[in-house]
Amino acid sequence: MPIEVILPKVDMDMETGTIEAWHVKEGDLVRQGDTIFEIGTNKAVMEVEAPASGAIRNIKAETGVPISVGTPVAWIYLDGEAATTPSEPAAAAATVAAATSLPKTESPVAPVIAAVPNSSGLRATPLARRIARQNGLDLKTVAGTGPRGRVGEADVKRHLEERPRCTPAQEARPAPAPSASAPESRLQPFSAIRRIVANRLSESMRTAPHFYLTSEIEMSAARDLLGRLARRHERIGAPKPSLTVLIARVAARILRDHPVINASTEGEATRFHDSIDIGIAMERDGDLVVPVLRDAGGMDMPAMTREFARLREGMAKRTLTPAELGGGTFTISNLGMYGVDSFTAIINPPQGAILAVGRTVDKPVGREGQIVLRPMANFTLSSDHRIVDGVAAARFMADLREALENPELLL
Amino acid sequence: MPSDTLEAVSEIRELSYAEAVREALGQAMEVDERVFLFGEDVGVYGGAFGVSGDLVHRFGTERVIDTPISELGIAGAAVGAAITGMRPVLEIQFSDFVTLAMEQLVNQAAKIRFMFGGKASVPMVVRLPGGSGTGAAAQHSQSLEAWFAHVPGLKVLQPSTPHDAKGMLLAAIDDPNPVLIFEHKLLYKTKGHVPAEAYRVPIGKAAIRREGTDVTIVGSSIMARKAEAAAERLATDGISAEVIDLRSIRPIDFTTIAESVRKTHRLLVVYEGVKTMGIGAEISAMIAESEVFDFLDAPIIRLGGADAPIPYNPVLEKAAVPQEDDIVTAASNLVRHGEA
Repeated sequence: MPIEVILPKVDMDMETGTIEAWHVKEGDLVRQGDTIFEIGTNKAVMEVEAPASGAIRNIKAETGVPISVGTPVAWIYLDGEAATTPSEPAAAAATVAAATSLPKTESPVAPVIAAVPNSSGLRATPLARRIARQNGLDLKTVAGTGPRGRVGEADVKRHLEERPRCTPAQEARPAPAPSASAPESRLQPFSAIRRIVANRLSESMRTAPHFYLTSEIEMSAARDLLGRLARRHERIGAPKPSLTVLIARVAARILRDHPVINASTEGEATRFHDSIDIGIAMERDGDLVVPVLRDAGGMDMPAMTREFARLREGMAKRTLTPAELGGGTFTISNLGMYGVDSFTAIINPPQGAILAVGRTVDKPVGREGQIVLRPMANFTLSSDHRIVDGVAAARFMADLREALENPELLL
Repeated sequence: MPSDTLEAVSEIRELSYAEAVREALGQAMEVDERVFLFGEDVGVYGGAFGVSGDLVHRFGTERVIDTPISELGIAGAAVGAAITGMRPVLEIQFSDFVTLAMEQLVNQAAKIRFMFGGKASVPMVVRLPGGSGTGAAAQHSQSLEAWFAHVPGLKVLQPSTPHDAKGMLLAAIDDPNPVLIFEHKLLYKTKGHVPAEAYRVPIGKAAIRREGTDVTIVGSSIMARKAEAAAERLATDGISAEVIDLRSIRPIDFTTIAESVRKTHRLLVVYEGVKTMGIGAEISAMIAESEVFDFLDAPIIRLGGADAPIPYNPVLEKAAVPQEDDIVTAASNLVRHGEA
């Protein structure tokens, strides 16, 4: 019997996954353990290995289309097995047919409805279309949350509630048609990760009222501490600490005193977390990924530096699990190394806040009546005003300043 | 006895489905001499499922007739008796055997009234124990009601409760047309309230067994009961399911289904017959063709029997027809994720 290759469940709450890329094609010989495809979940992209050695046949799954967990996506034929088409896995019918020993080569009694090809046409339920029609709404402007992006009643109603008051004519204005003489351009469909990032960040900007507090903080003491930590880590065989890790360490420490900054939005409630799990925004091959320093509140600098190094390496080698790439309670994004002075970040939902770190640069500042040069950096906290108020965020920023300018106070 | 006392007594009266059918037969025979029973082992043995019971002792062998093993003969004799003014009620021992009576039912009973311009009619009732779940394998477990619902001139009923089993049988005996009643074998022992007096449950009228707002579940016979149980479980999970018991497959009460779907926006049709080309296809198409189409917020889902003969193996037998768990899962997925 050929071995079924199914879309595996790689995350606890995973219901569907998307095949990002096939590493094999029809007829290829694979050895058990070879990577055969990459799967995208709503958190990460992972490689899937061949469950057996043999020839790959009947690749059924298209890339880029969400597929239910457990769906057969290909078969592996062992040596000597005839490469005939196995009967379609038509759910219960096939189960019963197999159990009653119908010859496998016989075509199934039930007609199998061919999978609808990935069409670019709009998917919407009749009810969604009806409501859109009644409201003069162009359904193309509505984000569908149903299967395969289908727009349902709830999506249309949500859109109608949220859309700014504007005329139907404005809503329905079509995008300018591509001109024939336009310079060449390239249309690249979203990767799974790009799609996740797009959806999550759009959702964040749409639903979380962001507000931003910026503090310019003197980094002399932090810089000095980083130097001393580097020497100590060298002595004890820990990796060299980076400023990002130091900021994560300081943030993890003061978040203990600011539970609301470490909280998440959950429906119409605030979820307070006992654990402090800090996500660090990183870039990999043009994609945004956010590995999480789990239980950062309980780590000392060497431990956090080691964990950070491990996450970095895992990210580069794509061995991180979805659990390691999601579920943080707070996020830090540092773009200082690119010379960015300051910026505002979009909150990673359902978290309540994100800290954006700019570069450290010597600036003239007033100290004891003198203008002196000091290394200064801009820290900008984006907060979700549904759960975080201005004063709560300001208190966190005040503590962040105090801790970075006087790290010995953290002792 | 004053009538309000009678009502009070009848309210608490419980009978099994089989007893309710027997009571209807007895009451019809008491008031109408033209009514007689006809079938294999319906007399001395009391029926293969004990439905006719002691009727032969009450009414004698002239009116409760054990026939030879020939479904074609039984059905043909019934058609002839009906045309000439009798009210035959025949039992096909297992509904699967009705294949042998097809000519009489489909080509004769169903057509005669039309072909004689209304001058003749065929007031006969056929009772057919059907369905799986008894370990009786492929030739004794089928659900063939959809075949007959395809024939103009026949009426097809599937009562799910003892109350309806009695009321619909009495309505069928009154009806001037041939009526087939499919009785699920697993329902015979189920109990329920049955009033003592002779009453009629109208043919062609569905019953809303439970009101709900999130999804409409349509079923008949044992599937209506499973749907009710499933709806109970769905409610604890925050899903409000409306359960419609069709009771009558032909004529079908489309209005009740349509009104419900207009409210819930989702439709799940559950039936034990083979899913392909079955009752669910007809109901789905009726909704899709109607103006209720515009109120659908998810695809219509059918849960039907597997495209396979009913297996003997009890595990596979169960897997071959929709079960309560399947209904819960499908309805929940339909409401939560927009697909089953």
